[in-house]
Amino acid sequence: MTTATFTQSPTEQLGELHLATFRVGKLLTGIDIRHVVQISRVQEITPVPHAPTSVLGVINLRGEVVTEIDLGVLLGLSPIEITAEARQVIVLVAGEPVGLLVDRVADITVVRRETIDPRPENLNGCDARFFCGVYQQEAELLAVLDLEQMLAAVGDHAGPS
Amino acid sequence: MSLADQELIVEFVTESLAHLADSERQLLEIEASAPRINVELVNTVFRAVHSIKGAAGFLGLHAINQLAHHLENVLNLMRNRQLEPNSSAIDTLLRSVDCLRSLLGNVEQSNEANVSQFIDALRSLESNEAAQEGPLAALDGAAPMPRADASEAGHTVTGAVATPPTESSIRVPVHLLDGLMSLAGELVIGRNRLLQAIAEEDDRELETVGARLNQVTRDLQAAVMRSRMQPIGNVFTRFHRVVRDLSARFGKQCELVVEGQDVELDKAIVEAIGDPLTHLIRNSFDHGLETPEQRMLSGKPACGTIRLTATHQAGGVRITIEDDGAGIDGGRVKARAVARSLITAEQASAMSDRDALRLIFLPGFSTAEVITELSGRGVGMDVVKTNIARLGGTVDIETNVGLGTTIDIKLPLTLAIMSSLVVRSAAQRFAIPQNSIREIVRIRRADAASRIERIKNALVLRLRGQLLPLVRLGDVLGIPNAEHIETVIVIEVGRLCYGLIVDGVDDAEEIVVKPLGRHLKDCLCFTGAAVLGNGRVALILDVGGIADHAELAKPKGRAGANDRVAHVDEIAQQSVLLFANGSTERFAVPANQVKRIERITADQIESVGGCAVLQYSSCALPLLSLEHFIRAAPRPQCKRLFVVVFEVAGKELGLLAPRIHEIRTVPTKIDTNSFREPGVSGSIVLDGKTVRIVDLPTLAAMADPRRHDPSTTQSADLEPWPTISPLFQDAQQACVPAVVGR
Repeated sequence: MTTATFTQSPTEQLGELHLATFRVGKLLTGIDIRHVVQISRVQEITPVPHAPTSVLGVINLRGEVVTEIDLGVLLGLSPIEITAEARQVIVLVAGEPVGLLVDRVADITVVRRETIDPRPENLNGCDARFFCGVYQQEAELLAVLDLEQMLAAVGDHAGPS
Repeated sequence: MSLADQELIVEFVTESLAHLADSERQLLEIEASAPRINVELVNTVFRAVHSIKGAAGFLGLHAINQLAHHLENVLNLMRNRQLEPNSSAIDTLLRSVDCLRSLLGNVEQSNEANVSQFIDALRSLESNEAAQEGPLAALDGAAPMPRADASEAGHTVTGAVATPPTESSIRVPVHLLDGLMSLAGELVIGRNRLLQAIAEEDDRELETVGARLNQVTRDLQAAVMRSRMQPIGNVFTRFHRVVRDLSARFGKQCELVVEGQDVELDKAIVEAIGDPLTHLIRNSFDHGLETPEQRMLSGKPACGTIRLTATHQAGGVRITIEDDGAGIDGGRVKARAVARSLITAEQASAMSDRDALRLIFLPGFSTAEVITELSGRGVGMDVVKTNIARLGGTVDIETNVGLGTTIDIKLPLTLAIMSSLVVRSAAQRFAIPQNSIREIVRIRRADAASRIERIKNALVLRLRGQLLPLVRLGDVLGIPNAEHIETVIVIEVGRLCYGLIVDGVDDAEEIVVKPLGRHLKDCLCFTGAAVLGNGRVALILDVGGIADHAELAKPKGRAGANDRVAHVDEIAQQSVLLFANGSTERFAVPANQVKRIERITADQIESVGGCAVLQYSSCALPLLSLEHFIRAAPRPQCKRLFVVVFEVAGKELGLLAPRIHEIRTVPTKIDTNSFREPGVSGSIVLDGKTVRIVDLPTLAAMADPRRHDPSTTQSADLEPWPTISPLFQDAQQACVPAVVGR
């Protein structure tokens, strides 16, 4: 599976992609902004026993119960520390809102599609399955997340080592 | 197609489907009364088809119009007594109605569907050449749009009988909508008052507004719930057809008796319960009922009966499916479970028949010796159980070998909102559905050592002479427990009871159930989550899932050991409810035979045909006075009194008791000589006074000798844990009876 899985959209036809970018540990990573519902401070999380390790628990998002996932754990990096800079990114995937905990929000970056390179085999030690490509931004690499692929892997107990 | 047209079509489909839903049942009734022709009913079906035909023609839906036209012709012949409603004719009509329904289900493409076979079959009926085989054979598997049907089981997947598509619109009485509107108005006024009170920092006004909003919210909730309520009869009607088709196909005779069609349930539950019920009815038919020859040999009528009943019970709905077939042989169940390596031979031999019955709910279990078309494909009772559990309900089974099997389903009225008890474990809060809580037991530290015991690594609580298996919530969830056991929530899941140890009880709260996300689907200890009044999220415990997790329900666990322990314990002592009838004499009944206690006033007692009865939740509860049956001083006139409700052979009865003293644990060894008489099983001496033990089954038999024969009634105290259900709120301290009425 090497093909990028972006859905067709007017933006894509124009060849432009808007990415909400943020940091997980040292990694700079981005999500197609059309998936993002909101970005907010980390709120109180109710832990769910027996949940997969990357799931921190559930939160009350305006009356809806939303699953909160530690993106650090999911990507095989260290868990997110809840500091003043940590944020939850609420994304809508397959009709269901999911909260992703990140260390810090970076910026919104507009990239042209053809400038996104195919993903390398290994990216700062985390599982490359979850990325659909990388983009050279100034001195560093911006890894573009494949949300559907990534969220489908939440239950995998094997997980990235 | 214009928007207006589309609206018309949607309305047409909704109305037509509503017409057809009744038609099926009516056609079956017409068949049942043959050869006499029930002209009134034929007319009703005729009118329904006629209005479909008219509207379809107007909307340009040719196929529907044509089919309805020919249906109408046949029905016309029938009402003019020119055509006999024999089973072949009715069959053709039913299949045509099926076809009509599937055309309506896909109305956009209906004009392209090929309905000629159905029309030909109807034509041949019209021209009175109703050949017995002709129309039927032509029709087999010929539905223009594939539709799973019982009689086409050969071609289609099992378990998908005639599931009507989920309706996207429902009918709501206008007065209900008006009520909703006025409540919405009150809500707006409430909000305005609230905003003003906040702006003015008027605390007293805030309080008043808060109370008002509380009231309005509750009314609104009730009104919305009522608008979602649907009679369960909507689901039940289709089973007549299922049973009819099964009977015709498999050569068994079976009558389906349906009761309680008017019982109403939330739309979502009514829709979801159809498939599990279909499965259970097919099971009863296939595994339960014998062939007519076998039935004759065992002295039963050739025609079997499946009785499907819905009743309101304890804030929920109870559905029973009762057949008078062969029953389930516990030994065979065990043998099968061993053969499938679900349990070991040792476990099987230690298992009671009642526990063995529960094995059929295990995945991969199937008792049919021969895999028939109907059932026995491995997707069975475990799926039924899971589906019912998903609706927040429980399913249980009871059987009498040779006499029949009863399946007992309990369902909540609604899925969306439920009353719950919020409990604590470590720092976390969890909600437990109230309908699964039997009582809360608080254990004093001083008593803990004597009441809680450890048997083979399992904790048990001594509760009114019974041993209740205990589960620590913290252990199940992998979070720390408090050191001392203080609060035990007694949970009842179907027939299984256990005590859940929690760190504390917060409050009762009405919660709105929210599903958990897809990443948490494997957390089987929770049914969902809810946002509490303080804005935090609490997980809703799945009491059945917790029992499974703690391996209470599984035969692999400790159930066998518990049974034996409970049994030994029972020989030593029993708990009894002490009460007085006259001024000085004292009586007792075994507490495990008492279902509940009601407090009533004397003027609530009615006299019907010389018998005293109490109107209770729309049925009459017969009331017994002790002095009418045994040697006892008459009950003095008193304004308030208690009714001890007990059940014998599935029928509830009430024993009048002017004063209730307490619940005591007493030795089971009683004096059976001194005061023995019919209705009194013996006596004991308590605090220097003689207490006579009332024999409730015999009393019931004396009250109505036809109905209750004590020799066939299994006395409740013969059964080991966990069937006993005394419904007292913390009877250790005092007995708080439920009050009848408002």
